[in-house]
Formats: sequence, structure tokens, C-alpha cells
Amino acid sequence: MNPKRSTLGWFWQSVTGLALLLLLGVHFVAHHFIAAGGLRDFNQVMAYLSNPIIIALELGFLVSVTIHALLGVRSILFDLGLDARWEKNVTWALTALGALTLAYGVWLLYTILQTGSALAMWTR
Amino acid sequence: MQGGTRKKFVQLARCANTLMAFDITLRMFRYRPGQAAHFETYAVTVPDAANVLDAIEQVWDKHDRDLMFRHACHHASCGTCAVRVNGREVLPCIAPVKNYLDGAKALTIEPLRNFSMVGDLLVDVAPLLQRQETAGLVITRPVENHLDGKPIASAQGLDPESVETVPFNRFEDCIECGICLSACPTMAASTKFFGPAGLAALKSQLDKTTDPTERARLLDLADDEQGVWRCHSAWECTETCPQNVRPAEAIMALRQAILARKFGFGK
Amino acid sequence: MNLSLPENKKIRFLRWFDFRSWRLGMLAYILNRVTAIGLVLYLYIHLAVLSMLTGGPAQWDPFVALARSPMFLALDVLLLAGMLIHGLNGVRVALTGFGIGVRAQKPMFVALMLVGAVLLLAGALKIFME
Ligand code: SF4
Ligand code: FES
Repeated sequence: MNPKRSTLGWFWQSVTGLALLLLLGVHFVAHHFIAAGGLRDFNQVMAYLSNPIIIALELGFLVSVTIHALLGVRSILFDLGLDARWEKNVTWALTALGALTLAYGVWLLYTILQTGSALAMWTR
Repeated sequence: MQGGTRKKFVQLARCANTLMAFDITLRMFRYRPGQAAHFETYAVTVPDAANVLDAIEQVWDKHDRDLMFRHACHHASCGTCAVRVNGREVLPCIAPVKNYLDGAKALTIEPLRNFSMVGDLLVDVAPLLQRQETAGLVITRPVENHLDGKPIASAQGLDPESVETVPFNRFEDCIECGICLSACPTMAASTKFFGPAGLAALKSQLDKTTDPTERARLLDLADDEQGVWRCHSAWECTETCPQNVRPAEAIMALRQAILARKFGFGK
Repeated sequence: MNLSLPENKKIRFLRWFDFRSWRLGMLAYILNRVTAIGLVLYLYIHLAVLSMLTGGPAQWDPFVALARSPMFLALDVLLLAGMLIHGLNGVRVALTGFGIGVRAQKPMFVALMLVGAVLLLAGALKIFME
């Protein structure tokens, strides 16, 4: 497919945008409004993450926000009227950055869960 | 177009009644290639009912015959005169001077933005016309043909019977004035953007044809990084267009058509 | 200073800041862009900050104490404002892009921003009451 023709960036921007509206509601309210003092301390974070549904939501949030943010950055850069070669470079660079971001996010979540359960084991 | 003409008549009538004149100051953008652009101030006297174009003509008449500006019809149908008055895009031929005078009695006149400058108020509108041409939008159609391509017989036009049966010629709303391109924030950043007038032209042509090859060509032009997807919904084109072309609405409609083609719904 | 000079081609987008041409649509455009850039920056700062969680309570809990200080809470309100403006304007952009409410985009923007203002006020109260 001609990459110039498959301009569905805007479509995915809308879809992830809608997802973010919903997920952000959960994410924001759960982290800052329900928790006393507006932010969870370490043990509260671990208790929160012990629910697999929450983990799925947080992962969904990570994916949506990364796609939405980087499509947005791409759009801002394309607005500057780049030539075709730079349009391609920007797309590749942002795809790579997106992959890195996702990998980092997953690694982070995994490590936090590890740390949490290790600590839980020690304190038990 | 009609509204503009009517307005003009009303103003002429009012002019005949009052015959009042008043003094104003015009701060005009002056530029020649190779020279520094600057503003120059001119004092002119215009009748009570004058439009901004009349005031510009006064500057040309009384102060500087070198002034470069464009106009033809004087009634909002040729689209050549568009400039910015106090930072906003208008057709000066139908913009009453009165509307701009709130005590200050001074107007700032600048050329349209987002075009290459030629001199003074003159800009190079070729990029706009090229886009309209790519879209296949023809404003001046040969008078000897109907829309369906059938020639109008010389006597036919006068025959009331045949007037009932021949299809009407549909003239385009867009007068190719370039105002929307000047007002569009995306156009301000990217010269490659197909632009509001161009995209409206694609939509207009799409509505006129059932030929699948031509429809595909038009949708391909619209479905491009620098086509409908470059628009970020500022709606300034619809807001400023003097002809009610509503380019932003055309862009949204093109998005529907593109998504329908891609996902195969709504056929 | 004039922003419409042809020699300014490289920085054409500076024309966005010609305040005389700011109408509602232009304002929405600029707000959307400014909040977008802010939110992307925040996203990466947020991801970096979260790495403190890997250090266990010894690293995380002092940060939480800091983040509960009034200065941080004010930044939270700013963040909330950015999210509300961007998210609610996004609702307008997405809906009209799918052909919904195309003729009512202006009142829609005003209404969404009013909703945003109310939510911001509620959020700010909530943030500072705790
Ligand atoms: S769409 Fe309207 S503003 Fe744009 S060139 Fe045509 S008439 Fe002028
Ligand atoms: S002179 Fe023809 S549109 Fe103004």
C-alpha cells in the first residue's frame, strides 16, 4: 500500500483519544482522588496493582497514550511542511520511540510488581 | 454574491441621501522586492458610505500611483481584491469603512498571508489557482455549453419552453479570493497543505461526478498527509469565507467519504 | 516587526501569534497545540518519575511526601487544566471529524470549555481540600 495513502493517523488519533478519555478517568480518579492525600504511598500502590483488571487498564492506558502522544508529535512536525524524506525519517524515529516507550512501560510495571512482591515477602 | 450586490445598492442610495464625507488615516503595507517592507500612513477623505476599497483607491488616486493592489468587479464576485484590514481577511470592496472606525479613524491594510508577496497589497495567488485546477474546478464555464455538455442553440436560450427543460448552469460559490488560505493556521505553517479552498473544490467536484476513476482521483488527492488529515479544526476558513463555501464542512465530509471507501461502508 | 515578510518563510508558524487574528477557532487550535506539547512532556516526566517505584518504599514514599506539598499541588491543577482543555477540545475535533455536530462546532466548543471550567474548579477544590 502506498504509505501516503494510508493516512489513518487521524482515525487512530480519535480512537486512542476516546480510549484515553475513559482510561484517564479511571487512572486519574483512582490515583489521585480516591487515595488519601492525593497520591498513594508505596504499599497503597502495590495494593492497587494487586488487581489484574487494574493492570490490564494501566497497560491499555500505556498503549493508548503512547500512540496518541506520538501521532500528535508526528502531526505537529508534519505541520511544518517537511519534505518527503524527512516525513519518512520522522515517522521511523517516532515509531522507534514508541516501541521504546512501550518496552520501558512494560519493564517498569513488571519490575515494580517484582519489587512489591519481594518486599511483601520480606515483611510477611 | 447577491447579498453583496444588494448591499452595494443600499449603500449607493444612502450615499446619495447623505453625501457626507469624512477623513480617515490608512496605514498601508508597502513592499517592493529587494526593499524593506514597511508601513506608510496616508490621509484620505472618503464618502460616508465608502468601502475600504474606495479608500485604497483614494490613496492610489491622491497619493501614490505606484501603489500595487488588485480589484475588478467592486461587488464581491471576482475575488481579486482580498486583503487584511486590521489583521482580518476581508473583501475590501464590500467592507464599509464605517465598520472599522471606532474613534481611531485609522485602518491598517495588509496583503493576505501565506502567499508569496509580489508588491504592496499584491500576492501571488498561483498556488491557490493551481490547487483549484488540480481539483478540476472550473469557475468560468463556456457559456455555449450546458452542464451535461450539450451545446445551447443560439435561439434556445430565449425560448421559455426550453428554459423549463434545459438543466440549469450551476456556478461555483468559491470566487478564489484566497481569504481562507490566509486565515488558515495550518496553511501558515505548511506550504504543502492542499488548503481549505482546494479541499472544498475537491468536495464540490466529487458531488458532481459518478465516474469511479474520477472519484478515486479526487479522493486520493484528499486522502493525503497534506490533504484533509492536515486540518486541525480551527474552522477559520468557514468563519472568514465571504461566499459561504464552508470549506471546513467540506473537509469533514471528505473524511467521511474517505473512511467509507477505506472501510467499505456507506456505499 | 512584521510577520508576513516573505523572508520569514522558515518560521512561518510565528503567524499563529498575530493576536489580531485570534478568533475562537484559532484559540482552540493554539490551546490544543500548547496543551499537546505540555502533555507529551508530562508523559515522559511521569514515566521517569515512576521508575522510583522500583526502589521500593524507601525511594517512593519521600517523593510522595514532596508531591503533596502545595507547589506540586498547584502543578497538579495546571496538569488537570491541560488535560481538560485538550481532552474536551478533542471531543469536538473527533465528533466533527466523524460528521457529528459539524454545524454546531462553535457552541460545542464553548459548552465543552464551560464543562471543563466546572470540572477544573471541582478538581482544584478536591486537590487542595485533601
Ligand atoms: S473558499 Fe471562500 S474564502 Fe476560500 S477562496 Fe473560495 S471564496 Fe475565498
Ligand atoms: S473587487 Fe471583485 S471581489 Fe472585490
